[in-house]
Amino acid sequence: MGEFQDVDRYISILKECKPLSESEVKHLCEKARDILLEESNVQPVKCPVTVCGDIHGQFHDLMELFKIGGNCPDTNYLFMGDYVDRGFYSVETVTLLVALKVRYKDRVTILRGNHESRQITQVYGFYDECLRKYGNPNVWRFFTDLFDYLPLTALIEKQVFCLHGGLSPSIDTLDHIRNLDRLQEVPHEGAMCDLLWSDPDDRSGFGYSPRGAGYTFGKDISEQFNHNNGLTLVARAHQLVMEGYNWCHDQNVVTIFSAPNYCYRCGNQAAIMEIDEKMKHTFLQFDPAPRRGEPHVTRRTPDYFL
Amino acid sequence: MDGAFENKSTDNDGSDEIFISICDVNRKRYNSYIKLYNFNNNNIKMASTPESDDYHPIVILIDELKNDDIQLRLNSIRKLQSIAKALGPERTRSELIPYLQDSVLEDEDEVLVALAEELGKLTDFVGGNEHATCLLPPLQMLAGAEEVVVREKAVDALNKICSELSQSAFEDCFLPLLLNLSKADWFTSRTSACGLLTVAYPRASSEMKKNLRKTFSTLCHDDTPMVRRAAATHLGNFSKQIEKDAVKSEMLPLFTFLASDEQDSVRLLGVENCAIIGSMLSNEENIQHILPILKSSAQDKSWRVRYMVARLFKELCDSMGQEITKSELVGSFVKLLKDTEAEVRTEAAQRVTEVCALISKDMSVKNILPCVKDLVSDVSQHVRAALAQVIMGLCPIFGKDDTLQYLLELFLQLLKDDFPDVRLNIISKLDAVNKVIGIEMLSQSLLPAIVELAEDQQWRVRLAIIDYIPLLASQLGVEFFDEKLGNLCMTWLGDPVFSIREAATNNLKKLTEVFGVEWAKSNIIPKVLTLHSHPNYLYRMTTLFSIGVLSPVVGSDVIASSMIPLLTKMVTDKVPNIRFNVAKTFQIIIPLLDSTIVQSRVKPSLLKLLEDPDKDVKFYANQALQLC
Repeated sequence: MGEFQDVDRYISILKECKPLSESEVKHLCEKARDILLEESNVQPVKCPVTVCGDIHGQFHDLMELFKIGGNCPDTNYLFMGDYVDRGFYSVETVTLLVALKVRYKDRVTILRGNHESRQITQVYGFYDECLRKYGNPNVWRFFTDLFDYLPLTALIEKQVFCLHGGLSPSIDTLDHIRNLDRLQEVPHEGAMCDLLWSDPDDRSGFGYSPRGAGYTFGKDISEQFNHNNGLTLVARAHQLVMEGYNWCHDQNVVTIFSAPNYCYRCGNQAAIMEIDEKMKHTFLQFDPAPRRGEPHVTRRTPDYFL
Repeated sequence: MDGAFENKSTDNDGSDEIFISICDVNRKRYNSYIKLYNFNNNNIKMASTPESDDYHPIVILIDELKNDDIQLRLNSIRKLQSIAKALGPERTRSELIPYLQDSVLEDEDEVLVALAEELGKLTDFVGGNEHATCLLPPLQMLAGAEEVVVREKAVDALNKICSELSQSAFEDCFLPLLLNLSKADWFTSRTSACGLLTVAYPRASSEMKKNLRKTFSTLCHDDTPMVRRAAATHLGNFSKQIEKDAVKSEMLPLFTFLASDEQDSVRLLGVENCAIIGSMLSNEENIQHILPILKSSAQDKSWRVRYMVARLFKELCDSMGQEITKSELVGSFVKLLKDTEAEVRTEAAQRVTEVCALISKDMSVKNILPCVKDLVSDVSQHVRAALAQVIMGLCPIFGKDDTLQYLLELFLQLLKDDFPDVRLNIISKLDAVNKVIGIEMLSQSLLPAIVELAEDQQWRVRLAIIDYIPLLASQLGVEFFDEKLGNLCMTWLGDPVFSIREAATNNLKKLTEVFGVEWAKSNIIPKVLTLHSHPNYLYRMTTLFSIGVLSPVVGSDVIASSMIPLLTKMVTDKVPNIRFNVAKTFQIIIPLLDSTIVQSRVKPSLLKLLEDPDKDVKFYANQALQLC
């Protein structure tokens, strides 16, 4: 029982939205690295499992997610990346998810998103938050070093393929992905970059992505990929969708986004996808957690926005 | 000063090596960290022995005051006390402070904020109170900074040092500094002067007091609105320090003057001063001087001023007293409740109960109630939500008959509001109505609406209803409950939202406490147990949670006869999450059972789970076995 004493303590601290000390984070990341190193680029996951999209440091909304979907480890979870940046509590959010992974490695799967990267986190907030909360960039370094070990994709019961971004012109089969060397910073181009950056599109074939990284891919691509690999569905995150989830490509692809009222202003709902033991899926939508004590902003849209 | 050395020493936990990592993005040296310094704490001769910071490399800190990296400069500034302690008071005065004054003041705002804060804590390190004056020149410069946060911190630090100075140092150094700031060319220094007067005034000689009041008067008449705003902000607290005669003869005119300022941002600050100054004056004086200003503020052409009046209405009523409130302020309040701006109505609506509590019931019914009726169907959902938050508080003021006559229909209307916050605010305060009109009246009139809300789209509304069920149950009695609410309580067990299922299981426990074990055996337990065959594991889990929650109240017979067989069956569930929750549930019931039953009927199941291939099942089975 002593095995999990530290991590259990970390989890109870983190659930109160309090950050761990620098040395505790270091210890946690070392343990997590050993676990993630064993996982595949296409990590097999068993059903039942609840699939979640972007969180982006919205800690209180992650707590809301657990209120909706059930607590860990009672409910199994698969998170498809983008834990950090933009929200106010990236440190607490990512530390909690990593701690849950360390404590319940068979109950929680965490994938890499395009924000789990050294470069992106320096622009969109995680780096600054670490500096602000710890006074030095060490914690940022521990986490970004750990991010290199996160699996890129997951495969639920050989049927549902889960990843952060989307498909890549350099990848036809899951074996291609299995053969990638993922232990590196997210590159600017190539298969690994595409998996974390691409988006589905109405146009067929592959197209240049307006994001400047990854590609857009059409229905034909999704259908063929699912067919070639014996898949029923690609589940991905990466894009804000107002209802929290969104089907496209004739139900070959679904987008799931789990940060309600994204950036505290988008007004979107969030969603999670429960896959039960018969592989039947159900979506649960949710709204932002009520925020007591935070400054009350006037909610009337200013005229100049209309 | 005890706490002064409790710096967050995040970066050295006992080791005497200091690592400073620098991440250079452009050259992508991601993993590199540079070991800058192998610091040996005997290298530098300390002027004194710091208690907890003795690992800190003072040389590095001093060096980094000049570093290009803002983060490192900031770090050093935050350790200013350590640097000063290492240098000793004399060198701090002759070298460190002049250095900071010359070079650091050009720095980024973030560094300046830190500097202002740290300078305020440095008195003990420059040689105590008699030398604290050396801190004044740099703080004077910071008090004139462009950034408002820097100035505020500088003013705080100056006020702190002011109270530490000897009387002669106060007169010879601090007062001239204050007067200089108040006459500075640039407005930033003049705004800071406004913030220093309150602390300085009580220490000044009577001649100087006159001078300071004159200075304040000049600041109130400043050409720059920012300075007038600062003066208006401090007018109330400054007046508290002043002799009563002078308040009337000098402060009142200034207050009146600022209240008619052309800038609404100045006028709105006067509203708070109405309350502060009003509480210092007599009734007659209030009627003569404060009331006209208050009434005109309530009708100001700027909604922000009216918003402020609505927001502070309770405080304003308190300072004016009950008589003036009844005769004069109720009219203003009614106008605010009917304001054209939703923001103003929202604030006013939130004050309704407070104001009604101050005036008579008749006046409330006659003057306020008609407005409340209008607000119930206000176009803005935020106004309705604000009203719903406080309207239940009117029940005790109105009493039973008038609540039934006037308020009940308003509650019903709000319960059906389109906006979930409105419904939620009403439901969560239902007990206030209950206390006044009794549960029977409540259930007859509101129950249909409650049943409807039990299936509300918003899970938090459903949750609020569940929380209210045990109270309803105890008042309604078994028959009525079984007929009207029984099924509902079972439906919640299958809710798609986990928190509702959880609340529903806790609700079952409370109901069992109300209606007794026999009732639970025949009404609840059979239904709960059927959930164990649900095709989805999350709902099968509800059976387990229910067993865990109910077992302490149903007694060991029921546990042995109906719960253990079910748990034994679920040991072979194909989902590991169910299996380890069986183990967790056993942990709850073992202490409730006779040890022979534990040995014969629980332990075999746990031993089986201990052989499970799943790590978590093993873990919880092992934990439960410790209890056997």
